[in-house]
Amino acid sequence: MMTPRPILSALRRHKIAAFLIVLEIALAFAIVSNAVYLVMGRLQRMDIHSGIDERDLVTLQISSSGNAGVPSAEADLAALRTIPGVQSASAVNSLPFTNSSWNSDFTKTPGQDATGYPATIYLGSRDLLPTLGVKILAGRGFSSDQYTDLTPATMLSAFFKPTQVIVSKAYAEQLWPGGNAVGKLLYVDKSQGQIVGVMSNIVRPQLSDSGTDPSNFYAVVLPFRVGPDLDASYVLRAAPAARERVLKAAVTKLQAMHPTQTVTKQATLSQMRREYFANDRAMAWLLVSTILALLGVTAIGIVGLASFWVQQRTRQIGVRRALGARRRDILRYFQTENFLLATAGIALGCAAAIGINVWLMAHYAVPRLPIIYLPIGAVALWLLGQLAVLGPALRAARVAPTVAMRAA
Amino acid sequence: MLEMREVSKVYRTETVETHALRGFSLKVDEGEFVAVTGPSGSGKTTFLTIAGLLEDFTRGEYLLDHVNVHGMNDNQRSRLRNEKIGFVFQAFNLIPDLNVLDNVEVPLHYRHMSGGERRKRALAALERVGLSARLKHYPAELSGGQQQRVAIARALAGGPRLLLADEPTGNLDTAMARGVMELIEEIHREGATIIMVTHDPELAARAQRNVHIVDGMATGVSEEPRFHPGLRERTAGDVSLPRS
Amino acid sequence: MGAYYLRLALRALRNSPVLTALMVLALAVGIGASMTMLTVLHVLSGDPLPGRSAHLYYPQVDPRPLARGSNGNPEPPGLLTYIDAENLLHQGKATRAAVMYQGGDVVQPPAGSALHPFVVNSRLTGRDFFSMFEVPFHYGAPWSAADDAGAAHVAVISRSLDRKLFGGADSVGRMLGFGGHSFRIVGVLAHWRPVPRFYDLNASRFGQIEDVFIPFNTARALNLGVNGTTNCYGQTTGNLDTSPCGYIQMWVQLDSRRAAAAYRRFLADYSAQQHAAGRFQRQPNVRLDDLMQWLAYNHVVPEDVRMQAWLALGFLLVCVVNTVGLLLAKFLRRSGEIGVRRALGASRRAIFAQLLIEAGMIGAAGALLGLLLTWLGLWAVRQQPSDYASLAHLQPAMLVATLALALLASLVAGLLPAWRACLIAPALQLKSS
Repeated sequence: MMTPRPILSALRRHKIAAFLIVLEIALAFAIVSNAVYLVMGRLQRMDIHSGIDERDLVTLQISSSGNAGVPSAEADLAALRTIPGVQSASAVNSLPFTNSSWNSDFTKTPGQDATGYPATIYLGSRDLLPTLGVKILAGRGFSSDQYTDLTPATMLSAFFKPTQVIVSKAYAEQLWPGGNAVGKLLYVDKSQGQIVGVMSNIVRPQLSDSGTDPSNFYAVVLPFRVGPDLDASYVLRAAPAARERVLKAAVTKLQAMHPTQTVTKQATLSQMRREYFANDRAMAWLLVSTILALLGVTAIGIVGLASFWVQQRTRQIGVRRALGARRRDILRYFQTENFLLATAGIALGCAAAIGINVWLMAHYAVPRLPIIYLPIGAVALWLLGQLAVLGPALRAARVAPTVAMRAA
Repeated sequence: MLEMREVSKVYRTETVETHALRGFSLKVDEGEFVAVTGPSGSGKTTFLTIAGLLEDFTRGEYLLDHVNVHGMNDNQRSRLRNEKIGFVFQAFNLIPDLNVLDNVEVPLHYRHMSGGERRKRALAALERVGLSARLKHYPAELSGGQQQRVAIARALAGGPRLLLADEPTGNLDTAMARGVMELIEEIHREGATIIMVTHDPELAARAQRNVHIVDGMATGVSEEPRFHPGLRERTAGDVSLPRS
Repeated sequence: MGAYYLRLALRALRNSPVLTALMVLALAVGIGASMTMLTVLHVLSGDPLPGRSAHLYYPQVDPRPLARGSNGNPEPPGLLTYIDAENLLHQGKATRAAVMYQGGDVVQPPAGSALHPFVVNSRLTGRDFFSMFEVPFHYGAPWSAADDAGAAHVAVISRSLDRKLFGGADSVGRMLGFGGHSFRIVGVLAHWRPVPRFYDLNASRFGQIEDVFIPFNTARALNLGVNGTTNCYGQTTGNLDTSPCGYIQMWVQLDSRRAAAAYRRFLADYSAQQHAAGRFQRQPNVRLDDLMQWLAYNHVVPEDVRMQAWLALGFLLVCVVNTVGLLLAKFLRRSGEIGVRRALGASRRAIFAQLLIEAGMIGAAGALLGLLLTWLGLWAVRQQPSDYASLAHLQPAMLVATLALALLASLVAGLLPAWRACLIAPALQLKSS
């Protein structure tokens, strides 16, 4: 209905005010689209699929002080399995969503000069994979006679002598894209280990900044049993409804078995996930509130300038009404005007958004802004503009045509 | 063309009730040129706002081109205004942000009319008032007389049946006023129906018929209106200031 | 004249309360957000040991094999092996020097205590740690050089551990059960919280200090474990101290540039000598950062915090542009009044001054409200889960900066509109259009 040309020529007579609105929308657009992208990154990270049955798992850890009597993992696990509701139990060197991890580079050929592929290492008894809910996808699991005990004394040497290895699907895919990893050899320095199985993906304890980074799933399992003397945790599988009760009973049991030690950690895996991502959640909230505040301020600016314009043009609105403009036409005029300003702002903002993103990429670990965020930001600001201008535009539409009759 | 029967307009505020028109009747035939005169506060402006469909009235009947307009909603009145009525204001009321051509096109925008048609009509109207050379000028760059000519072109562009002029020369000096008046007369000779509100007896005398309003009532074809030299009133009717 | 302008400004602000409130609010939100984030940035990027930090250095050598995947970083590793740490400690010439690592173990409460055993972190280091970093003592003193050399079973504990175990009494001379061993307490620290916790950036960077301090030699003799990062580069022996595994931090105090240059030469010479002996495979590759360089090199200020600060500044920019727009609207609305004032003899300069004072008053109101929002923002930051959260407090310098920033922002925002408005031509009437 409203053709943009007369609106544009009218705007040319109010360059400063029009430019300020355009600039504000451009800045808001550039910041908002980048911030929304950062929020999405955080959400994606928080949403990562761990590959273990989090809802069925609880974990606890008992200290082990030098000569105060080191707790035996086997004895503890046997006791823990007697707790009603415990479906299975294992000791494990580290778990997803903790800040403790064991990592190593593996190579496809022996020797120090070969290219290393870093992976995280999970160690635990035979029950580990079934307890976590990790499946063997190809090959087989370890047989019981392949397990050896790892102790602080043997750890450093044993750790560098893998004999058999189970790798995650993602790691196998990285090492031999499209190929079959089962039966292949992996090396740590000169010691070799054979891949006996490929398991479903399990996330590494410490995630990279990006939730979609495939290296989050580069994991291997080695056939070593670990105990509290290596800071191992116990992980118990129980029905979700029984988790809290099982955890409480397990703590009581361990405390009774080891009066001079202390339970240093007790949590459900769901709790650990929540705590692990607490920072991301806080950052996401901060970003979201900044986005909202920014949009609010931009809306205030639009309302302010649009109100001013309506007031300034009260007389010409009256004249237009006298010349036959309907209320709807006046409303449209201001809406179209705002749409044009927002469009100019968005166009300018696109350039700025890409500029900011390039700068962020250069200085921070921020990936390239996907193009999809630009139309999202554009729609958001168009809507915001229309919403903000609605009040002043309605006020303009209410201007009586008799205003035209008043003396200048 | 226009027929008002016993039209009344009452303005109410919380405390005061003002009768701006009381039982006002007037009939204007097709092609007539009528001047409406009256003292300050007599209801001239109210008459014009009702005749121009800017406001509804309280009681009575008003037929515009044989159509009863009482009780029409805002959209219907806007449409009639746009198609049948052309306005010329004392203060010109050009839109300062738009150039001459755009100003003349304003009423045409509110009809479903193609850009080419709009342009053609606006150019013809400007040709008619002798301003074809000033299309890209802004109102502030024109003299008062030229501005009023643009306003007349704007009123004519839509091909109205009725031209309402409110003190069209009130803001102009004598020479410019003469030119504008001649233009209006020319338009009348070409067949337009014109109602002009004025307090200037000289101008009123140039119309075919004079209607005098006193206290919101038409007193029919008036005797020679009284004229007080040095006192020029404003059409708003409620304030009057001496002007230099 | 100033008082007159002030009165005019006040009246003008009162005349459009909604617009004024919106402007103040928008400015305050921008000020509040940016000052909150800048305060956090300021706190986190501060110098933990002002006056001393320029003389404290962190030596690094490179014992890694030639090529290994994730060891592709050309910079030497941040942790020393036991062998290198011992060599540097005994061969290097520094005013003071300390090697250290973090451990963690169970504290056995004294007999008769109602407490359960609990785990605390420990710092296993030399006596120079305390003098080099000027760590304040509440009771007692650091252990002696003889304790260091003789691997004595002595300990210094934190004030909070002293409170927990002994009710805050002078516990010097009493025994501490820790990690299954018994240590004689020789000192209790006063409150000490360097920000960041610069001496070991592998552990919590903005967290509390450790609760137990034990001589490094004692810890190695008792084989107290590492509660931190251990990086091994090649075939291990089964013994951490003879394996190519880095887990030790080292700090040296060098009081002059010459001493620092000499120490850097010593690191290179030492590396060359180790290379010649076949222990180091790489050519000498050393670093000797002073404390602030070391913090920058390790990107101690979290990326999130930097990004938040930039975000907040962008936000402030939007708020300023917004204020420019609203002030423009506000001033031009009064075109008529300004035209009449000009006709009555007000100079451009007078109009400009009057309008800038009005902008400044909005700035002042925005500053006060912004300060309140900053305070609220910092409170919100303190509720966050990050380890630096508890450090986010308003500081006097930042308070002054907030007020200055708000005033500056509003005056800058007022310049363009005031200039535009003082161009209004003198006029004798108030025009409505």
